[in-house]
Amino acid sequence: MTNLEKYLNAFVTALEVSPAEAPALVYGQSKVWDSVGHMSLVAALEDAFDIMLEMDDIIDLSSFDKGKEILSKYDVEI
Amino acid sequence: MPPGRGSSMLLAGKNALVTGASRGIGAAIVAAFAAEGANVWALARTRSEAFEATLAGLAAAHGVWLKPLYADVSDPAAVSAAIRLAMTDKQPLDILVNNAGAMAQDKPFQLTALEEMEALFRVNFFGAVQLSQLATRWMARKGRGAVVNLASIAGINGGSRLDYSASKAAIISATKTMARELAPLGIRVNAVAPGFIQTDMTQALGQQVQADTIAKTLLRRAGTPEDVAQAVTFLASDRAAYITAQIWGVDGGML
Repeated sequence: MTNLEKYLNAFVTALEVSPAEAPALVYGQSKVWDSVGHMSLVAALEDAFDIMLEMDDIIDLSSFDKGKEILSKYDVEI
Repeated sequence: MPPGRGSSMLLAGKNALVTGASRGIGAAIVAAFAAEGANVWALARTRSEAFEATLAGLAAAHGVWLKPLYADVSDPAAVSAAIRLAMTDKQPLDILVNNAGAMAQDKPFQLTALEEMEALFRVNFFGAVQLSQLATRWMARKGRGAVVNLASIAGINGGSRLDYSASKAAIISATKTMARELAPLGIRVNAVAPGFIQTDMTQALGQQVQADTIAKTLLRRAGTPEDVAQAVTFLASDRAAYITAQIWGVDGGML
């Protein structure tokens, strides 16, 4: 599985959305990506890429694209 | 009987992280968890051969693994590093026990510097909150878990030391808020509130204070670390699957 597939899969499983819906999601602007969904997403990303996100990055994780940018800081290129 | 083989042990096959694990109530919790089949990352502030020998002995006796971790819970970087190290074991985390704590000096709040109060809160409150943040994200990967916080009867009734009792009151409030936020992720959060328990910390209170405190308990004795450990073990176990946001007194009846 590629990093992009793992990344997309984290959104799909944590937020229970389709792969087509995931890229357009923005934190707080969707029922599925609320604070509970956010923590599920963080856990899914940490599990998928075997990383531990810093608190600032958890707070900054606000969109599908922003997440890619954040993961690059952990040497995860998507 | 080895854990996970149809035994009736309360924590068979569970993985736990216990702070303040080298002495007193924390050491009793580690021993109780091991006896009930749990594997434990035992976090202590100071590296010690005696501590590691105790863990090795318990592990061998009960057929579990018990691994020492070292961090001062008032140091956020050290706490993060300890959790990262534990995560390299590639095991899920089922249970967190926030036991590490410090006692305040026995003096009026008017004579207590704010810096002293802040230092106590860093151990008794912020350390537990940070560990809970990190550990419950780890638990959320599996969608299950249990956190047990060590509060105090002083956090309910007030105590003779403002900073200590206030830090424990803060833990009680945090327990309920965490329980609310983490329930959707499958994580339960409870606290025990010990009364007068015989530990190194309480021995420093002096004979008269100890006698006066025991006289106020219905059961007319001091509690033991094992008394507290049994309550923590139950709350951490699946037998407590429908219990969350609760503060259990383990105080011999201090009305």
